[in-house]
Amino acid sequence: MIGHRHDDDPHRPTRTTFDEPPIMKRFTFAAATVSTLFAASALAGTNRPGDAMRALQPTLSSEPLPIQRAANEAVAPAGMVGGPGLALMSAKILTCELDGPGYVNNGVLLVKDGLVEAVGRRSEIEIPGDYEIVDVGDRWLMPGMIDLHAHVGGTFDINDMVYQANPGVRASTAVIPANPQLRRSIAAGVTTVLFIPGSGTNVGGQGVLMKTGPKTYEEAVVRNPGSLKIAQWGNPERWAIGVGKSHHGYIIRGTLARGRSYWRSWKNFESSGGPEPYVDPQWEVFRYLFDGDAQVSVHTQVHQVVMSTIDIIKREMGLDVFIDHGTFDGWKAGGEAYANGVNAIVGPRNVSMPERGLIGWTGDNPERVQGCAAGYWEMGHRMVGFNTDSPVIPQEELPLQAAIAVRHGFPDDGLQTVRGLTIVPATTIGMGDRLGSLEVGKDADVVVITGHPADPRSAVDAVYVNGERMYDASERRLW
Amino acid sequence: MKHLNSLNAAAFAAALLAAPTLWAATAPTALGLAPTTSVAADDDEDEKEDEWHLVAGGDVYTGTGAVLRGASILIKNGLIHEIGYDLFVPEGAGETDVSGYRVYPGLIALGATSRVTTGRFAAEDPTWAIDPLSDPDEWMTSFEDEDLDLPTVDQDGFKSRYIDSYDPFSPYMTLALANGITACEQSGAAFKLRRDGIEGVVMNEDTSTNFNMRGGSARQRTRDGFAGAAKYLRDMATWERRGKPKDDEPSTRGVDTNSLRVLRNELDATFFADDRLTLLAIARLAQDYGFRPIVQGCREGWIVADELGRAGALVVLDPRERSWNDPESLYESGSSIENAAILHRSGCQIAVRTPSASIDTSGIAGRDLLSLSLQAGYAIRGGLDEEVALAAITLVPARVLGIDHRVGSIEVGKDADLLVTRGDILHYETLVDLAFVMGKIAYDKNKELYYAHLQPHQIAADLEADAAAESEDGSEADDADGDTDGDADESGDDD
Repeated sequence: MIGHRHDDDPHRPTRTTFDEPPIMKRFTFAAATVSTLFAASALAGTNRPGDAMRALQPTLSSEPLPIQRAANEAVAPAGMVGGPGLALMSAKILTCELDGPGYVNNGVLLVKDGLVEAVGRRSEIEIPGDYEIVDVGDRWLMPGMIDLHAHVGGTFDINDMVYQANPGVRASTAVIPANPQLRRSIAAGVTTVLFIPGSGTNVGGQGVLMKTGPKTYEEAVVRNPGSLKIAQWGNPERWAIGVGKSHHGYIIRGTLARGRSYWRSWKNFESSGGPEPYVDPQWEVFRYLFDGDAQVSVHTQVHQVVMSTIDIIKREMGLDVFIDHGTFDGWKAGGEAYANGVNAIVGPRNVSMPERGLIGWTGDNPERVQGCAAGYWEMGHRMVGFNTDSPVIPQEELPLQAAIAVRHGFPDDGLQTVRGLTIVPATTIGMGDRLGSLEVGKDADVVVITGHPADPRSAVDAVYVNGERMYDASERRLW
Repeated sequence: MKHLNSLNAAAFAAALLAAPTLWAATAPTALGLAPTTSVAADDDEDEKEDEWHLVAGGDVYTGTGAVLRGASILIKNGLIHEIGYDLFVPEGAGETDVSGYRVYPGLIALGATSRVTTGRFAAEDPTWAIDPLSDPDEWMTSFEDEDLDLPTVDQDGFKSRYIDSYDPFSPYMTLALANGITACEQSGAAFKLRRDGIEGVVMNEDTSTNFNMRGGSARQRTRDGFAGAAKYLRDMATWERRGKPKDDEPSTRGVDTNSLRVLRNELDATFFADDRLTLLAIARLAQDYGFRPIVQGCREGWIVADELGRAGALVVLDPRERSWNDPESLYESGSSIENAAILHRSGCQIAVRTPSASIDTSGIAGRDLLSLSLQAGYAIRGGLDEEVALAAITLVPARVLGIDHRVGSIEVGKDADLLVTRGDILHYETLVDLAFVMGKIAYDKNKELYYAHLQPHQIAADLEADAAAESEDGSEADDADGDTDGDADESGDDD
C-alpha cells in the first residue's frame, strides 16, 4: 500500500458512502495503525488495546464497506441513490449560492441519486413523470446548515493536554454517529459539523468533517482530516505552568515549521526518489495541509491573535486557514483577514460588552454592545459565518448565532445570515463544490423550515441528507 | 385569589374592546384600586401637582389580546389613566409622539439573579460577603457553623438586604431595561426597575412559598401538611356552625402554617419539579385540595399536561430545556420543544424564563436575561400562539409574582411600564427604543451607551433616501417609520 498517494485528484468530491474512507488512500497502513492507535488510546484515556481497536474499526476494515441501506431494498425511496427522483416544491427556496440572488420564489428542487439535479422556478423546471412530488407549501427550503466548531460528534475526550502541540491526535477516533446531540442538530437543520478537538493546547489535533444524520461512521464522515485544530490565546494559556500569547506564537510557528519539513522530505522522495523518509504519525497531517487538501481551523478570539494567525499560518506558512470561534474584538483585524483570504467563522461569544461599570473580560472596551459579526462586516470582511462551540452552546442553537448577529448590527439585506450558516462555512472548509448550497450536482442536504432560519420562531419540519428524509417533525418534533 | 383578579381583568379588557367608552370607568374596580377617573379624587394632595404624560399615536399591544392602532395612552402620576383616541389632555401634560411605533407592556423576568438590581458586587448569600483572602478563618468556618443564623428566603432578614442593595445606577439595570425588562423577580421579591430612585421598587414579597414533592417521603410530608390544614379548616367551619362554643375551639397546634395559608388563598404554593411523576403528584395534590400550583421547571410537563391543566397550574418553564428521553423507560420522558404549547392547550398558564437568569457580560448573547423576548420565540417554535407567548413574558409572570394588578399589560389603572419599539417585540431584530417605568422614560436607546449605534438597516436606508429626496425637491418627506418594522420574515414573502 506504500506509495499509493496523491494519484487521485485531491479536489475530487469524495463519496465516502461507496468508497474506502479517504484516509486509507493517503496514509500508509503502518502510519494509520500507529497514529490512530496512539490517538485512540490517548483520546479514550485508556491503555487497553481493545478499546483503541474498537475505535479504529471503521478505518482498519479492508472489506467492502456496507453500502447505503436503501440501495439494498427493492425500490429505494425517492431522492436516494437507486430510487426514483424527488421533486420538492416550495414557496421559497434559499439556494444560497455564493454569488447571485441566493433564492428562488415558487421553486422546484429536483433530487436524484442523493444529489441536486435541478433547481429553479416552477415555470422553468420540467418534472419528469416518475418523480415523486412533495409540495411543502409556504414552507421554505434551504441547504443544510454547517457548523465548523463543534465538539458533539462523539465522546468528549478530545481535549488531551499531553503536549502543547498534538497534531497527531484525531477527533475521528471519538465519533459516535447519530448520537443524541447530533439527532438534535439535524432536527435544527444542521446537517454537517466539523468535530474538532478542544482548545486546551495550541495544537489540539485533527478534526473530522461529518454529517449529522447518517447512522454509521462510513456514511457520516465527509472528510478526515477535516482540519487541524489550532488554538490561539483564550484557552491554551492554561496548559502546564501557564503560557502567554508570545509563547503560543512560538509553539505554533515551531510546530508548523517542523510539519513543513516533514512534508518537504516526502515531496522530495516522491519527486526524486532516494531513501524513504520515516513515517511519523505526529506529522502525517501536514502532508494534507501543505498539499492544500485540508484547512487549519484556528480558535481565534481577540485581534492580536487574529493578526498572528494571518501572519504565521497564512503569510509565513501559506496554509489554508480560517478564523474559528471568532469572538470579542477580533473583528478589528477583519479587513486584514479578508484581504489575506482568511474567512471568519464567528461565535459563540458573539458580542463584546463595554466595561464601564460591568465586569471586564478582555480589555476590549468598545463603549457599546458590539456585535462581533457586525464588526467583521464593518471592517469590510465579506466571508463571515457562524459557529456554536457546541456543547458550550447547544448544537441546535447555531441559527441563533445568526439572529444575535443581526440583532447587533450584522446586515441581512442579501441573505448574509443564511449564507453564513451554509455556503460560507462550506467554502471555508474547502467543500464549496459539494455542500452549502442548493445547486446542481451538490449533495441534496435540504431543510424544510417555516421561515427565516435565524428566527427562533421558525420551526424545521423535515430534513433530507443525501436525498434521504432523515428527520420528520410530524413523527416527533425534537426541536 | 389574585389570579382570578387578573383573569377578570383580562375578561374586562376583552369586553372593553367592544365598548371603548367604558374603558376608563370600569377596569380599576376589577383591580381593586381606587378609581382614578377624576381629578377631584386627589383633593388631599392639593399641594402636589398631578403629573400628566401622553404617549401618543402608537400601535398599542395591550398584552390582553387587544391591539389599538394609532391609539394614545394618557398617564397620570405614573399610572395609566386612559387609553384611546381623541383623549382630553390636561394642560401642561408632557407628550411623547410614538406614531409609527408599537407600544408593549414591559417584560417581566422571573428568577433573576441579584446582579440586575444590585450591580456588580452583589452579595447573594451572606457567606459570599466574607472575603476568603482577608478572612480565611472566618471563611472556612462559615461553611461549618450550622447554627449561623443566615437569613433565607423564608425568613425575615432578606427583605432589607435586597432593598438596601438596590442600585438604581447599576448598568445591569440599564441593560435589562434596554432589552425590555421593567420588572423582575429576585429571591421571592418582585422588583420594579427604576433608575430615578428606590421608592416603591419592591412591589411584592413573600407571596409564595416552596413545597417539596420530590421523593416519596417529601411527598408524604407535604400531603400530610395539607391534610392537617384542611381538617383544621373543616373543624373550624363545624365549630362556627355550632355557634362557636367557648371551650371547643379547634387548635392550630400541629397544623402546617404554610399549607393553611395556601388553602386560605393567602399564599401561593410553588413547586420546583421536572420529572413526570413529581408533576403528577403535584397536580393531584392541587386538585385534591383545590389550589392552583405554581410549577417551576416542568420539563416533562408535556407528558402529564392534562393533569396539570386540570389543576390550573401556572407553569414557569424554559422552552429550550434539553434532556434526552430515557430509552429504557416504557413511558415518554425528557424535554420537548412543544412543552409550552401542549401545556397551554391543556389549560395551564405559561410563563417563560431564560436558560440563564443573569446578565452575561462575557459575550455570550442569546441565553441570558437580555434575550427574554427571543426566548418566547422558542415557545412559538414549539407551537404556542404569538399572543400567548407575549403573555408568557408579561402578564403571566406578573400573576406568578402576584403583581398582575399593577403590571403585565396595558390597562387603565395599571402602572405605566411601557416599551416602545419599531417592530414586533418577539422578532430577534427588534430593539427597545424607549422604556417607560411608572410613566417616566427610564431608557432611551439613542441616549444610552449600549445600543444607540444600532439602527434598522431598512430604516437607515429609508432615512437616507428621504433626506436625499428632501434635498432634491425641498418638500417634506413622509415619516420613514410607517411600515418598516425590520421584520425580515415579511420582506421575503413578496412573490
